[in-house]
Amino acid sequence: MDRAAQDTELLNRIGLDQTLRRERVRRRGQLGLGLLFMAPALVLVTSLLLVPVGYNIWLSFTKWKKFKGFGEYAGWANYEKMASNPFFTDALINTAIWVVASIVFPIALGLIMALFLRNMRGAEAFKNVVFIPRILAPTAVGVLWFYVYAPDGLLNRGLSLFTTGDVEIGWLYQDNTVTPAIIATFVWQTAGLVMVLLLLGLAAIPRDPVEAAHIDGANKWQIFRFITLPLLMPTLLMVTILSVLAGFTVFDLLWVMGANYPGQRSLALAVFMYFEAFQKGSWAFGSAVAVVIGLVVLGVTWIQTLLQSRVDRMVR
Amino acid sequence: MAVDLNTLDFDEIARKEAARHRGRRWKVAVALLFSLVWVVPFYFLAISIFKSSTEYASNPPLSLPAGLSPIAENAQRAWELGNMGQSMLNSGFYGTLGAALAVFFAAMAAFAITRIDLPWKNGWFMLIFAGTVFPFQMYLIPLFFGYQKLGLLNSHLGMLLFYTAICVPFPTLVLRNFMSGLSREMDEAARMDGAGEFTVFFRVVLPNTVGPMIAVFLLQFTWIWNDMLFSTVLGNRLETRSIMNALLIFQGSYSSIGPNIVLTAALIASVPSLILFFLLRRHFMQGLQVQQA
Repeated sequence: MDRAAQDTELLNRIGLDQTLRRERVRRRGQLGLGLLFMAPALVLVTSLLLVPVGYNIWLSFTKWKKFKGFGEYAGWANYEKMASNPFFTDALINTAIWVVASIVFPIALGLIMALFLRNMRGAEAFKNVVFIPRILAPTAVGVLWFYVYAPDGLLNRGLSLFTTGDVEIGWLYQDNTVTPAIIATFVWQTAGLVMVLLLLGLAAIPRDPVEAAHIDGANKWQIFRFITLPLLMPTLLMVTILSVLAGFTVFDLLWVMGANYPGQRSLALAVFMYFEAFQKGSWAFGSAVAVVIGLVVLGVTWIQTLLQSRVDRMVR
Repeated sequence: MAVDLNTLDFDEIARKEAARHRGRRWKVAVALLFSLVWVVPFYFLAISIFKSSTEYASNPPLSLPAGLSPIAENAQRAWELGNMGQSMLNSGFYGTLGAALAVFFAAMAAFAITRIDLPWKNGWFMLIFAGTVFPFQMYLIPLFFGYQKLGLLNSHLGMLLFYTAICVPFPTLVLRNFMSGLSREMDEAARMDGAGEFTVFFRVVLPNTVGPMIAVFLLQFTWIWNDMLFSTVLGNRLETRSIMNALLIFQGSYSSIGPNIVLTAALIASVPSLILFFLLRRHFMQGLQVQQA
């Protein structure tokens, strides 16, 4: 008998083959079991979220005809149409304003409030007051502020106290005030959450380095700048991302508060898309705008991962 | 070591102490002043719902109402004009059942990913989590036409299915992170004793995951309750529309319906989420910590 045959015979006696086969069957069984457990989640997510996204991308390259529906391939026609649409450019600019504003204002305000309330007695009550708007629906908040900004509303009556004569500013009717006014409402609603998250982050900062710096004679500003701020960076980044995505995709507030603004569709890309598709019936064009919104979100997420890895390295 | 009392300036210490106290009081004053930005709109809301339409129009916005009685009429008109009873039932149905199903399905998926020895664990997870990557606008048009074709448009079932689907990915992330931190010894012990995977899931893992499950359930419930966009697109009928969608009815014709009534409607629509928040504050805050992880 040669060596190889001997080996095979030995393996057969041990039953390695069978063990391998049994292992393979077990693994297949585990895969089946796992799929069974994941089935509802997988089916729902793919059929109602992922497939529609794919379909949307396809639709953006087609042409919509009345009574015929989506039909022939149209190439980049829908995307080219955007460039010449004045409402689209305005919507794009306004969306850029929203991105910047939703980074700067909620974070700045939330950070100041968090630092201010950190070691204060009775801070709980303030925290609650500032946080409550976040529980409310944007639709309800929009309705409330719609009347605050009304021409004869709370804000104008309040301003009238400081001037001679009545202030009659149509905050939600004028081109130059409508976006800042709605951004102010957005900040009013979301700063509380930012503050609470930052307070959680501040509470997690270890005392030792702060005390060490204090003993070494660092002043308050130096402690904040060189110890607290770097240690708070991961939380700040996370909160910034949450805030940008919320501000960038804001729709409800704009829909409710901009209801009487003649150029409502130019308030943001989200509104523009809804208007084109569901009110004008330009379905293919609307889906192209949705793809653009998706691309911007993708860009923001990409920048986030870049920053994330940098901050991770910095902290370590 | 003897302390030379003469070098300790007690006046100086007392002065510093007093300054600190003053500083604290000054801080509270600033905080109070600043919180007016939040308090005044709420105060405006709270008094406006007690005013009749003529009272609202003729008196300054922050003046106290003449009496408490107009609220009954405001609430009744808001309730009838907006058909709020029906839409509250709808939103309650979507919110409770949709969020509960979503959290349960997410727990099942998280169990498979963390506890069952299956290939491409990360791939399966990423597939489910991909549901959070895209903006809502990318779902609207395809779902509208797809639902139309399947006859799901303006039906309770269609709305429930969508709300469940969109609430699955985030709880899957949270519960996966939580379950991978749970000790494996207990479920190994149960398996040794001959328990199948279903027993392990229902008897060992689920009971230990109740806390985070409640936290994410609350987050998802409020999301569904507060949603207006998908209800206007997928279920814009009297029978199927959600409560926030019902609020839009007032907005369109705000001039004919007084602000006092619209504000009352907005408050009524927000009452359930406010009550939930105050009853379950602890779980909400836990949810926030979860969100951060």
